[in-house]
Amino acid sequence: MKKIFSFAVCILAAAVLVGCGGEKTTLKVYNAGEYIDTTLLSDFENENNCNVVYETFDSNESMYTKVMSGEKYDIIIPSDYMIERLAKEGFLQEIDKNKISNYGEITDNLLSQPFDAENKYSVPYFWGSVGILYDSTKVSEEDLEDGWEILKNLKYKEDIYMYDSERDSFMIALKALGFSLNTHDKAELDKAYEWLIEQKEIVNPIYVGDEVIDSMISGNMAMAIVYSGDAAYIMSENPDMRYFEPSQGTNLWIDGMVIMKDSENTDLAHKFIDFMTRPENAMVNSEMVGYSSPVKPVFEELKETVYSEIEAYVPRQNGDKDEFFRYQDAETKKYCAELWTKVKAQ
Amino acid sequence: MLVRRIASLSKGLYVLLCFAFFYTPIFVTMIFSFNSSKSLTKFTGFSLRWYTQLIENSEIMSAVWVSVSVAALATAISTVLGTITAIGLSKSRKIIKEWLTNINNIPIMNPEIVTAIGLMLLFSAMKFEKGYLTMLLAHISFCTPYVITSVYPKVRGLDVNIANAAMDLGATPFQALTKVIVPMIKPGITAGMLLAFTMSFDDFVISYFVSGNGVMNISMIVYNMTKRTNPTINALSTIVIVVIFVAVLVVNVIPKLKNKKGRKINEKNI
Amino acid sequence: MRYFKNLVKPYIAWTAVMIVIPIFMMLLYSITNSGNSLVNIQFTFENFKRFTEPVYLSVFIKSIKLGLITVVICLVLGYALAYIISQFKESTQGVLILLVTIPMWINMLLRTYAWISLLSDNGIINAFLDKLGIGPIKMMYTDFAVMIGQICDFLPFMIIPIHTSLSKMDKSYVEAAYDLGANPVQTFFKVVFKLSIPGVLNGIIMVFLLSISTFVIPKLLGGGQYVLIGNLIESQFVSVGDWNFGSALSIVLAGIILFAIKWMKKIDTGEN
Repeated sequence: MKKIFSFAVCILAAAVLVGCGGEKTTLKVYNAGEYIDTTLLSDFENENNCNVVYETFDSNESMYTKVMSGEKYDIIIPSDYMIERLAKEGFLQEIDKNKISNYGEITDNLLSQPFDAENKYSVPYFWGSVGILYDSTKVSEEDLEDGWEILKNLKYKEDIYMYDSERDSFMIALKALGFSLNTHDKAELDKAYEWLIEQKEIVNPIYVGDEVIDSMISGNMAMAIVYSGDAAYIMSENPDMRYFEPSQGTNLWIDGMVIMKDSENTDLAHKFIDFMTRPENAMVNSEMVGYSSPVKPVFEELKETVYSEIEAYVPRQNGDKDEFFRYQDAETKKYCAELWTKVKAQ
Repeated sequence: MLVRRIASLSKGLYVLLCFAFFYTPIFVTMIFSFNSSKSLTKFTGFSLRWYTQLIENSEIMSAVWVSVSVAALATAISTVLGTITAIGLSKSRKIIKEWLTNINNIPIMNPEIVTAIGLMLLFSAMKFEKGYLTMLLAHISFCTPYVITSVYPKVRGLDVNIANAAMDLGATPFQALTKVIVPMIKPGITAGMLLAFTMSFDDFVISYFVSGNGVMNISMIVYNMTKRTNPTINALSTIVIVVIFVAVLVVNVIPKLKNKKGRKINEKNI
Repeated sequence: MRYFKNLVKPYIAWTAVMIVIPIFMMLLYSITNSGNSLVNIQFTFENFKRFTEPVYLSVFIKSIKLGLITVVICLVLGYALAYIISQFKESTQGVLILLVTIPMWINMLLRTYAWISLLSDNGIINAFLDKLGIGPIKMMYTDFAVMIGQICDFLPFMIIPIHTSLSKMDKSYVEAAYDLGANPVQTFFKVVFKLSIPGVLNGIIMVFLLSISTFVIPKLLGGGQYVLIGNLIESQFVSVGDWNFGSALSIVLAGIILFAIKWMKKIDTGEN
């Protein structure tokens, strides 16, 4: 018994020591999975003599749930519509742009978008679109003319990956039906729900998350719904893959860095944003993960060099049917969440 | 004769097949942890590259630390708590006995996910910051019932008079407890301790719901990493498997060796 | 010995906070609809009513069905193995049972992860089949993958209790049965199996409990559209954020398990 006690005491002492580990300040960053070159984090730690606690989420919705449950972060990197929601619900603090030395180099048309019209709360991190990644050896160009409806083509039964995310899946159905992806109309949402159910019955797609990346690199499925950046990365590894944005319109998105209101290290948080937007770091990051950089010179350079052959690095920018996601009121949100649970459970 | 042969052969074959089913995934994991490329199907050559990457990966290493330290602390605390409770329980009034054993059975009978959600609701209502401490408390909470269920039967089988005799001879209650009672119920305590350690070290579901702030144990980090092919997990797996294999062997073989020795000594004395 | 009566007090306090209060909180959440804050509570049975919608009912039915299939397969495979093991000499039995237990000690997630690399489309099994000239078979994200993962993880929980009751059995009963003229089949069903029923029931309860509530195995091996009760509950808490509905589902799940255990116990006492 004594032995157990002394063992416990030792462990406890060690745990306390590790827990306090010096007097470094800590920055808590919450980002989507597979969405950063992690060497940048240790560079940042060395540069500012601090600790970075880095956590990842698999969808904006699960991020939001975690924040609602009282978890505290300094920096979060959500998508546009989620930035709007967090700002409206008072979770964010204003960013002092004077502390972001490279702010002037950010691509103009990524700024002043309706989700953060005055650029108060967010600084763009990556941007892109949602589209279909397909294996050009398995999918015929003709079928692609159906746009999103190709996802219901019996030919590709059990050969399709959908993305395991509520808003992206509803976006596809809404666009396929010709509705706005920001609709509040329950009748339209019901139709989108039916579209997804019908798709499930016809082709039995698999809903996955980031598993899609390695799986499509090895060419496991004929088609997958992916973000443009993941598509760029996959295409750089597997030349058979192509990226396609249906003409019915798709979702354009901007993911931005935001500082939480209850952050106690506002200074360090600003430094983090400054660090990530510096051209050399933005370059490393964008090249590694494949997403389009909002820093103009970086984007222009990568477009011409590393990603010159890969169309997914340059998402469609002038499609008149493409839309950004907007804030959903609580009732619509709840309604969608319920439908989404049903789609998956069906 | 022939029929019997075939019967015993097919029995042996069946046992072999079952073990192949259990151990193939384990061996495959181990083999590919030494692969020089990222492939999980083609062995391209021997290398320790994934082990170096594992050691350099501070996220994984801290998860290993969390798993080990939480398991050790939770085991120590729940063993003490469970043992004293089991001893106290045997001397309590019948109504307390019944109630407490019933409540104690709840975490054992309940699906893990239900226990996990209950604890999560509790911690968030108390505005506890999720992390190491919440994880530890949760682990103590689901380990202690197992300790109690394995110690309690031993306590019940105990002769009451021995402890009384010790106290009559001048031992304090504490001495009677540690010097007399505990040694007698030691097998139960050890069994409970082992059970608590595995439960805690293995746990995913409860930790997943109650932890936060970047505190992750091995299961949680593996869950996060399964999305991408990553042979570092194989390296981690291999180390865990080898350590557990050795530990289980040591725990099971040493007592047997001791017994043999004891028997030999006894035989000599005779 | 009365000194020791007080030793039980710390744990009474502990269970009150860590076991009883959480259950009440879950009950409270399940009959309210106030979102995640407890400020303006409104009582409702809406959450339980929602559960009776066909979609959710079918999730429960699917989970129970899958749980039962897992139990049956584990029972057949596990009983056979436990029975064979129990016929070896005692020391060999020890070693074999140890070999059955070792995988249980290894992290469940690590074992499930190992199956991914075996079963995936470009995984080892398919590479092997390819060499034999058999085309790749899709195994990942199917019922098959989920079943394999569950059986591999839960089978030891069936084998061990059955083996325990078989090895405790008095061999003279078997001899007596033979002496009385029973054939091996009769002996097995009328004597051996009957005497091992407590172990069998224990194993059934364990495997059923584990397989009906898991959410990791279906998620990793079945994909996001493979929704069982566990996944449904998890998504309510992790991504959807409807804690009230999630709590209601948890309570229903706990109820099912409780019912199953009671029922098994009844069989157990009925048999004896």
